[in-house]
Amino acid sequence: MRAFEYVRTSEVDDALAASERAGAAYLAGGTTQVDLMKDGVLTPERLVDITRLPLRGVLGTGSALHVGALTTMEELAADPLVTHRLPVVREALLLGASVQLRNMATIGGNLLQRTRCRYFRDPAVAACNKRAPGSGCAAVTGPARMHAVLGVSERCIALHASDLAVALVALDALVHLESARGTRTVPLTEFYLEAGTTPDLETVLAHGELITSVEIPLLAKTTRSGYLKVRDRVSYEFALVSVAAALEIADGVVRTARIGLGGVGSKPWRARAAEEVLRGAPATVASYREAADAAVTGAWTVPGTAFKVELAKRALVRQLRTVSEMSR
Amino acid sequence: MTSTPELRTASRTLAPDATEITTALVVNGEPRVVVADSRVTLLDALRDRLDLTGTKKGCDQGACGACTVLSDGHRVLSCLTLVAQCEGREVTTVEGLSRDGRPHPMQEAFVRHDAFQCGYCTPGQLMSAVALLAEGRAKTDADVREFMSGNLCRCAAHPHIVAAIREVADTGGTDARV
Amino acid sequence: MTTFKALPFIGAGLNRVDGPRKVSGRAPYSSDFSALGQAHAALVRSTVAAGRITAIDTAAAESAPGMVRVFSHLNVPPLVRGPMTPLGASPPAPMQDDRVLHHGQHVALVVAETREQAEAAAALVRVEYAAADPVLDPDDPRAVTVDNPWGLDSERGDLTAGLAAAHVTIEAEYATSDNTNNPLGLFATLAEWEDDGLTVHDATQWPSMVQETLAVVFGLPEESVRVLSPFVGGGFGAGLRAWPHVILAAMAARELGRPVKLVLTRPQMFTAVGHRPKGVQRVRLGASADGRLLALEHRSRSLLAVEDDDYEPFAAGSAVAYACPNVRTQDQQVRVNIPAPVSMRAPAEAQGNFALESAMDELALALRMDPLDLRLRNYAGTHPGLGLPWSGKALRECYTVGAERFGWSRRPAEPRTSRDGHWLVGQGMAGVSYPWYQAPCSARATMAADGRATVSSAAIDIGTGTYTVMTQLSAELLGLPPERVRFDLGDSDLPKAPQAGGSGLTGALGSAVHDACARLLGAVLDLVRDDPRSPLCGSDPADVVATGGRIQRDDDPERGETYTAILGRHGLPDLSAEGSSTPADPHDLGMAPAGAFGAHFAEVRVDEDLGLIRVARVVSVIDGGRILNEKTATSQIIGGVIGGIGMALFEETVTDPDTGRIANATLGDYLVPVHADIPDIDVTFVGEPDRMNPIGTKGVGEVGLVGVAAAVANAVHHATGVRVRSLPITLDALL
Repeated sequence: MRAFEYVRTSEVDDALAASERAGAAYLAGGTTQVDLMKDGVLTPERLVDITRLPLRGVLGTGSALHVGALTTMEELAADPLVTHRLPVVREALLLGASVQLRNMATIGGNLLQRTRCRYFRDPAVAACNKRAPGSGCAAVTGPARMHAVLGVSERCIALHASDLAVALVALDALVHLESARGTRTVPLTEFYLEAGTTPDLETVLAHGELITSVEIPLLAKTTRSGYLKVRDRVSYEFALVSVAAALEIADGVVRTARIGLGGVGSKPWRARAAEEVLRGAPATVASYREAADAAVTGAWTVPGTAFKVELAKRALVRQLRTVSEMSR
Repeated sequence: MTSTPELRTASRTLAPDATEITTALVVNGEPRVVVADSRVTLLDALRDRLDLTGTKKGCDQGACGACTVLSDGHRVLSCLTLVAQCEGREVTTVEGLSRDGRPHPMQEAFVRHDAFQCGYCTPGQLMSAVALLAEGRAKTDADVREFMSGNLCRCAAHPHIVAAIREVADTGGTDARV
Repeated sequence: MTTFKALPFIGAGLNRVDGPRKVSGRAPYSSDFSALGQAHAALVRSTVAAGRITAIDTAAAESAPGMVRVFSHLNVPPLVRGPMTPLGASPPAPMQDDRVLHHGQHVALVVAETREQAEAAAALVRVEYAAADPVLDPDDPRAVTVDNPWGLDSERGDLTAGLAAAHVTIEAEYATSDNTNNPLGLFATLAEWEDDGLTVHDATQWPSMVQETLAVVFGLPEESVRVLSPFVGGGFGAGLRAWPHVILAAMAARELGRPVKLVLTRPQMFTAVGHRPKGVQRVRLGASADGRLLALEHRSRSLLAVEDDDYEPFAAGSAVAYACPNVRTQDQQVRVNIPAPVSMRAPAEAQGNFALESAMDELALALRMDPLDLRLRNYAGTHPGLGLPWSGKALRECYTVGAERFGWSRRPAEPRTSRDGHWLVGQGMAGVSYPWYQAPCSARATMAADGRATVSSAAIDIGTGTYTVMTQLSAELLGLPPERVRFDLGDSDLPKAPQAGGSGLTGALGSAVHDACARLLGAVLDLVRDDPRSPLCGSDPADVVATGGRIQRDDDPERGETYTAILGRHGLPDLSAEGSSTPADPHDLGMAPAGAFGAHFAEVRVDEDLGLIRVARVVSVIDGGRILNEKTATSQIIGGVIGGIGMALFEETVTDPDTGRIANATLGDYLVPVHADIPDIDVTFVGEPDRMNPIGTKGVGEVGLVGVAAAVANAVHHATGVRVRSLPITLDALL
């Protein structure tokens, strides 16, 4: 790990000021930041410890849940409103990482977690467009099983591995940002950038800008939701494929559908095409299959990831069936 | 928002780009002070500077759980925690589980159930297990398995670890707390 | 000495004697030791798999804070390669020239005042290479093939004739992947020189070998090298060699004149301390219509490093697994630019058994015969090669007891016929014949005047329970309660011992302890033989038993006295005896040495849409000869079974085919089973004390792992109708 200057503050303004200079980075739970600093991938000159900022806690209003960015994953999962009104969020949280990591990792940090791509995470690998723009992508010709198939190209197939973010993009969550220049609010679906030609740019976050809170609209009481995570191990593994689904069904017809896909995208994937197929369609397996086909349109695979297209379709069908069969 | 800056930076310069931080924390009930390079993790501080080598390094990457300790009562990975972040925190390690020279019930149950072989992951398993009880998640075998999954055991004592935890959960009561 | 006869077939489940230390954090592993004035070392590894180092720029590292010295082939003094060992040649001495033989090879060692400084400075070392095109594919014409590397290829009868006569034949190719031992304890070496003597704290399964190696490499008398490993954070084979990093730490400590501590990182644990090599196997079986094996051919081809050895005869074990008149086994190794493979828990057997026991399942299907019946039909009641009776074999009992406990008779014959919702349910089984292994061993037993005994040997406890079972055994043999016996190990200054490996340590060490304790008892009797004050005057060892801290006449228990009384009367503070054991020669004994046997029965559930595979339950029945401690032996089997589940479903070290770089060298990316993956595992021991050694054990460290992969693969086939012949079996194969 390269040496750095450590700075701690309990005031947001101070943190923002301390992070303005180049080479500064925030430190919250540390589960990504410290890990990647050890790997030599991140080499900040200054770390601003924000764990004592007053940005922790969950507040429910009539229509939304406001989550302080420094709330831990375990804290959010334990929140009664999340349990009752946002089961898909609770499940996504509890199917991620381990209890220890969830006690450390914050909601803001979780949304900003970096890819698990082992080519990105090893500076000894020269070709990584995400780490060193223009250098190429070693993963494309490597044995890439844990990589993305949507929103990717030969320039980069790195996967965004968050579970929570998959649920939150499906729910149209908003992130509230603050910097020395002011505040702004960005829909999470617009917060992430598709890899495209600039895989090094992952979010719209500007240098020094801080996620202060996340706003999650509550689901209607008649909406059923859940999170399915498909992986080799039963627990403690990133998703091969995951599905966040929320359905409102009346009289055998899908009124609204919200679908997020994980384990497949360069960013947490909102499957809008699948939602389009479902809206107004009969709540039947045939509809779900049609939606699944739409969800993976445009997939770009390498030999190691080819199976994910079929797996994603099957997982989506399974989860739509599961959610539609939930009794309320 | 009124700001009361308590911005803390280097107390003295070690090298052109390295800083040394003084951190006061409580470890196993005792106030301790660590003066260390800002890079030093809680794990390395415990092992190299506080002579508490019970906490183990199995990966140093947050993947194996061997370094699990309690921080303010919550189980965390000490390998991904900088010691500088622990200012004012209460840290409990495996060395702090016993009380008045008597082993914690979980330690006794681990021995009784042969819930380890090489013993290297054991301190982390124990800290997770004790936290698991406090979290109220030791009610079924399935729950224990799920919520202990962040602690790898390569000798593979899993069934015996689950049995030890369940026994303490069923019989331990308040005695099982840290 | 009659006490031995009192040993039960299954010994009491005494709690681990080292348990209290392990659960309190007071068991010191090699990385826990520190020396006054120590410096910390960090390794720099090659980023190419083949070629030459053309330049090393250490300027930035040399000027980094806390720098002590950077070592590379440019300044590492000449080092002799270590000696030949029973497991093959020692690894080549490190950093002796500019050649790179695999990705991740140690190319520099950076020593600094603190761990953080050493690691940071290591990242500043710039190495330039003239990279060559590495040989990574075994089919690359440049790859060197080693035929019959261990002289274990076998031929019996007439394979061609057997195949021609067969009613049913099957032929299939099976693939197993690279697995990495990954003991949870990071391997660490702390080396300290004092008065030309070298003391090393090391994570090893074999202190005597590391001692011998360091003595050769540094030109020292053996007694000037001391290797200490009181506790090892697992090994699974990774600790069976004196690896280059151990030599480097000792070299740096000598050059710098101060102690040096080197702790490997987890990614380095994938390249520096071995792995189970992948391989491809072809099996041909031929059988009569009633299921008698007429032909068995098993050929393997596995990977080997360019300049290293690895004991890995995948196919050899198949020659003795079944009573089959016409057999051929052949093993080949292919040298490629990979990090050195090493024995990993049940080396060769784990892979070979997967192929053979999968093929047996395929043959059973082709014969429309129950897989268990097929195995019983071809039961090798005598050693198929030697024709001699086994020293002990209860494999038939393993099968029948296992079938009963598992409920095998309720298994439908047809695949893909039972389900539970969207879960397809299947059952599979496999048999195991584990090879016998024993090596010479020595031990010392000392009785102190206070009636406490210390028994010792330079053996190792990698979690296998050596401390505990040897304490128990010594206590039984000396007639003491276990709490009055201490067993010391993990110190090369103690009497020489073989490796904790090959499932051979318990038999070898137990026999040496048996001998040492018998000699100690004899020495005590010698003291009183002509002593009229002793009630034991004139007694021979055959006349007495030791129990409760005293020695007494077998024919008159009243006639006896305590160790304390005898030693006290003779004014002795203590009395010691050395003992040893050497493997018996099977030809002299007129029987074939038997290793452990076992049968594994597994039930799996497979999600019919998603391909998710879950092991629902496992029943394992083991003939391990005498079981010294039921508790620790059960743990050994459970650990093996779970290792087998890992091999079956999760574990694969993935190497980038172009660069030779391991692409998943972390515990987040290399998957091992977690708690949630592990169901109830039912373990039963059957059989009787083995006749190859005086204590009757067979060793149970590896038999638990072997066969699990095949049982799981066979169960997956039974659940789904899909035969997967490549490990690990992951959901992609079932979509």
